[in-house]
Amino acid sequence: MLLASAADLIVASPLFVLFMGSLTPLIVKVLNKNKEPNNFLSMIQGVGTILAALLLMVTVYFLLLSRANPFAFSNLIAVDGIAIIASTTCLLLALASLFLMRDNQSTNGDQFAELVFLTLNSVLGMLVLVMATDLLTLFVGIEVMSLALYMMIGISHEQKLSKEAAIKYFVLGSFASAILLQGIAFIYGNLGTTSITVLTEKADLLIGQSPLFAVGMIFLMIGFLFKVSLFPFHVWTADVYQGAPTPHTAFMSTAVKMASFAAFARIFVGSFLVNHDSMLNILQWIGAITIFAGNAGALVQNNLKRMLAFSSVAHSGYILMGIIVIGLGATKLGMTAVMFYLVTYSIMNMGALAMVSFLEKSYSDEISTDHIKGLAYKRPWLAGSFTVLLISLAGVPPALGFFGKFFIFTQALDQGLLWLTLWAGLGSVVGAYIYLKPIVYMYMIKDDDQNEVISEAAKDHEVYNNRKWFTKTVVLASAFTILVIGLLNTLLYHLLSARL
Amino acid sequence: MLAESISEIGLGHFLVLSMILFITGMLGVLLRKNILTVLMSIELMLNAINLSFVAYARSLNQLDGQIIVFFIMTIAAAEAGVGLALVVAVFKRFKEVNIRFFEHLKG
Repeated sequence: MLLASAADLIVASPLFVLFMGSLTPLIVKVLNKNKEPNNFLSMIQGVGTILAALLLMVTVYFLLLSRANPFAFSNLIAVDGIAIIASTTCLLLALASLFLMRDNQSTNGDQFAELVFLTLNSVLGMLVLVMATDLLTLFVGIEVMSLALYMMIGISHEQKLSKEAAIKYFVLGSFASAILLQGIAFIYGNLGTTSITVLTEKADLLIGQSPLFAVGMIFLMIGFLFKVSLFPFHVWTADVYQGAPTPHTAFMSTAVKMASFAAFARIFVGSFLVNHDSMLNILQWIGAITIFAGNAGALVQNNLKRMLAFSSVAHSGYILMGIIVIGLGATKLGMTAVMFYLVTYSIMNMGALAMVSFLEKSYSDEISTDHIKGLAYKRPWLAGSFTVLLISLAGVPPALGFFGKFFIFTQALDQGLLWLTLWAGLGSVVGAYIYLKPIVYMYMIKDDDQNEVISEAAKDHEVYNNRKWFTKTVVLASAFTILVIGLLNTLLYHLLSARL
Repeated sequence: MLAESISEIGLGHFLVLSMILFITGMLGVLLRKNILTVLMSIELMLNAINLSFVAYARSLNQLDGQIIVFFIMTIAAAEAGVGLALVVAVFKRFKEVNIRFFEHLKG
C-alpha cells in the first residue's frame, strides 16, 4: 500500500514550505558564527516564507476544488472552506505579528532569528489544526502551535512578568491538552476511529447510548474552552496576555483564537445539540457567563493590554453563540457568521494591540489609559485609526464589528436562542463603555505634563518609537481595512459564504 | 473469587487504572506548588492516557490506538523539553522553582 501519494504531498506543500522557510533564519545565524544576523533580514525571511505558504495554500485549495475531494493522507487533513479561510487569515496575522516583533523593544534584539523560527512553527501548527479532519492531527496541531507559543513568551527580554506568563500558560495549557487528549481516548474507544467526519455523523446517537463517549465529548470541549478562553477556563487569559510581549499578545488573541475556533466549529457540524438539551443549556450558560465575565473584568481595568485581554474573552462568548447555532443544525449560516466574526475580530484586535505595541517606550513599559492622554493632538492619524478600531470592537453600526455581531445575533435569534441574544446585546452595550473610555482619554483629556522638561532617555524612546514604521503600517492598514470592509460587508459575507 | 476476577482482566480494569493515574496527575497539577512536580504530574496524566489508548486498541483489535501512543510519547517528550527549559529560565530569575513567586500578574 502506498503511504502517501504525490497528490497528498502537494496538499501538504504549504506546511513543508513553512517549515523549511522557518529554518532559514536559524541557518543564517549558525553560518554567521552564531551571531545575531540583521533583524530586518530575519524578518524578511519570515515574511517571504509566509507569503510563499499563502500562495501555495490558495493554489492547493483551487486545485482540490477542481478535483472535488478536499481530503489527503487517507482523510487525516482536508483543505476545505474552513481550512482556507482560517489558514489564510492566520498567515496574514502572523505576517502582521512579525512586523510588530521587529519593532517592539521586548522582542527585537538578541534571539530574533529564533523568534521568527518559533512564530513560523506556531503558524505551521495552526495550519495543521485548521486542516485537521482527524482528532489525532487536531491534537498534534494544537501542541505544535502551543509549544512554540510557550517558548516565544519565555524568550522575551522582559524578565519578570513574561516568565510568569510563560509558566502559567505552559502549565495550564498542557493540563488542558491532557484533558482534551483523554477526551479523544474515550471518543476513540467508543467510536472505533478518530476521524472527525465519522464523529460528527455518529455523535448524536452515541452521546445518548454511551456515557463514556459523552464524557469524552465533554473533555474534548473542556480542552477547547481553555484554548479559546471561555468560562470557566478564561482566568489565565488576562494574566498571560498582560505578561506576554505585546506582539505575542496580538498573535495569541487573534491567530490562535482563529485557528482554535475553526477546529472547535468542525466538531459541532454534526448538529448533535438538537437532541441533547442539557448540553445545549450548559453551552448557553457558558456563553452568557463568558460575556459577563469578559465585560465586567474589562470595566475596571486601566491597563490597556489587560483591558483588551478581557474584551477578547467577551468576544469569545459572542463567537460561542455562533458555534451553538452550528450545533443546532444551521451549519452553513452559522459557520459563515462565525468565520465572518473571527476574520473581522482578528483585524481589529490586531490593529488595537499594534497601537499598544507602538506606544510602549521600553521592554517593561505597561500602557495604561494615562499614557494616551491627549494623544490625538500629538499623533492625529494613529489616534484616529485607534478610534476606528475601538469603535469597531465596540460594535457601533458603521464599523465592521457591528456586522459581525449582527450576523451572529440574527442567526442565534433564528435558532430561538432568545435570552442569550438579549444578554449578549446587553453585554455589547456595556462593552461600548469600555472601548469609549480610551477614546475619551485620547481626545478630551489634555496631557498635564506636556510642558515639563523631557529627559534625554525619554527623547531616545520617542525617537525609537518614531521609527516603528512597520507597527504604524499595521495600525493604519487594519483601520483602513475595517473602514473599507465595513462598507463592503455583504461582499465579504458572500465571499465567505461561497467557500463554506 | 479473587482468582476468577483476576483471570478476567479486561478493558474495564485498564480503564479504571488509567483513570486513577489520570486523576492522581490532575490532583498533582492542581495541588502541588513545585513546578517540577507539576511537570511530572502532567507527564503522569499523558501516560495514563497512553494506557487507555492501548487498552482500547487491544479491545477494538485495531492498531490505530497503539500508533497514536507513539505520537503522544513524542509530544510528551517535546512538552517536557519546553517545560524544563522554562523552569531553568525561571530558576535563573527567582533562584527557586515555586508557584508562590507568581503573584505579579493579577487584578
